[in-house]
Amino acid sequence: MNIDLPFIWESLVELLTAIPTTLAITAVSMLCGLAIGTVVALIRMYKVPVLHSVAASYVTFIRGTPMLTHLLLIYFGLPLIVDALSAQFGWPFRSVNIPMITFAYISFSITAGAYLSEVVRSGLQAVDKGQIEAAYSIGMTTRQAISRIVFPQAFAILLPSLSNSTISMLHGSTLVFTVSVVDINAKSQIIASSNWKFFEAYIAAAAIYWGLTILIERLTAIVEKRINIYNRGGVT
Amino acid sequence: MIKLTQIKKSYGRHQVLKGIDLTVEKGEVVAILGPSGSGKTTLLRCMNYLERPSEGEITIDGFTVNCKRPSKSDIHSLRKQSAMVFQQYNLFRHKTALENVMEGLVVVQKVPKEQARKRSIELLEKVGLGSKLDAYPSQLSGGQQQRVGIARALALNPKVILFDEPTSSLDPELVGEVLSVIRKIAREGITMIIVTHEMSFAQEVAGHVIFIDDGMIVERGTPNELFNSPKEERTKQFLKRYTPDGVYSI
Ligand SMILES: Nc1ncnc2c1ncn2[C@@H]1O[C@H](COP(=O)(O)OP(=O)(O)O)[C@@H](O)[C@H]1O
Ligand SMILES: [Mg+2]
Repeated sequence: MNIDLPFIWESLVELLTAIPTTLAITAVSMLCGLAIGTVVALIRMYKVPVLHSVAASYVTFIRGTPMLTHLLLIYFGLPLIVDALSAQFGWPFRSVNIPMITFAYISFSITAGAYLSEVVRSGLQAVDKGQIEAAYSIGMTTRQAISRIVFPQAFAILLPSLSNSTISMLHGSTLVFTVSVVDINAKSQIIASSNWKFFEAYIAAAAIYWGLTILIERLTAIVEKRINIYNRGGVT
Repeated sequence: MIKLTQIKKSYGRHQVLKGIDLTVEKGEVVAILGPSGSGKTTLLRCMNYLERPSEGEITIDGFTVNCKRPSKSDIHSLRKQSAMVFQQYNLFRHKTALENVMEGLVVVQKVPKEQARKRSIELLEKVGLGSKLDAYPSQLSGGQQQRVGIARALALNPKVILFDEPTSSLDPELVGEVLSVIRKIAREGITMIIVTHEMSFAQEVAGHVIFIDDGMIVERGTPNELFNSPKEERTKQFLKRYTPDGVYSI
């Protein structure tokens, strides 16, 4: 076997420059996805007329199709819509001006939104009904009760799933190579093919993904410890 | 002060409340007795709209809600008139004892934080928990949690406090501490409606006792009338079952 060990190190150093891109895609998609997912979960839980069935279709469609397909649909579909609108209203804006990474942000946020809506829903449902009743009984509005009492407790419950979803998104974000965004994975492909050292470059990429995954797990553990103070003790 | 007119409540075809009329004067303590499943909890929950009555009218301190088609703001205003002490305590699990009591003052009544804090500490001291301000519910015994629940209700200075079997989830040795807190606030002239199975306690603190069975008020009277000379057969049966040889002494 002939492995160029120093080259793994070189690749690793070079790949560091792509970490911000990967992290940005992961973070933006998860944050926007969490926002979308929360709204969708509330719409479905409170059975908001009309929106309720729109939300349900959104979730089943997205969960029933691959993340890569979402990316391709956005990549090819969004420019058509943008250009049509620009032509209609005489805007100077053209779809070629959209940065490539934007397609990743939009499409992955839509993907994450559907999955996270289920995560958020199960978190909200796991909060004891007595909690919101107690909030109502002291005169809170529904909005106050949800934001001050239900959400904080739901968040503690869904933190582990949220962490798993973040890791899935970190790994799934490798799909951006199809729309020419250079993340860690795409960069490792470039390094690999321009030096004809595929195995070494991919080992370096794997090491970085693994490191980032461990980082996410550690951060989760820290947050979990802090917000779960109230679940410890237990004289009851 | 409080007036319920023909409160009815059905779950599907099952009518749980069959037209309850009830008047409570200011400062009065009313005890509600009745067998399990007779609709006591449902009645209390209708008073603050945790349960939506099918029909009827609720008036608390001059504010009336007609249950046919109440608006959101009607419901909200009605809820602000009362406070509730739950059978399962229902303290906010992610908040300390002090934060539980402060929450309503700060968020609902918009009392400045420092002032809310001072008042909450006073109330927790009053229920004997001055040393547990920073404890989370999971770190408190059932009796302590229920006393925090009572302080949380008191903090709002409500027109009426609704108690739903406040001691029936407690281990027997913890019942006394909660009852003595309720007894203390009863003496201060706060209007209270208490659903309870603690007969001698009801006899002692209540000005009026109401016996409910099968979604209807069967009999009402002073504790003396109801406990010592009940008129209705159903009341007699019930009392016989629940007070064997006065074991319910406190
Ligand atoms: N959410 C509900 N759905 C259907 N039936 C209910 C519900 N809540 C209570 N009930 C029924 O209403 C009746 C009265 O219940 P409840 O008010 O809890 O009685 P109590 O507090 O006197 O024991 C019972 O028969 C109970 O099964
Ligand atoms: Mg009950």
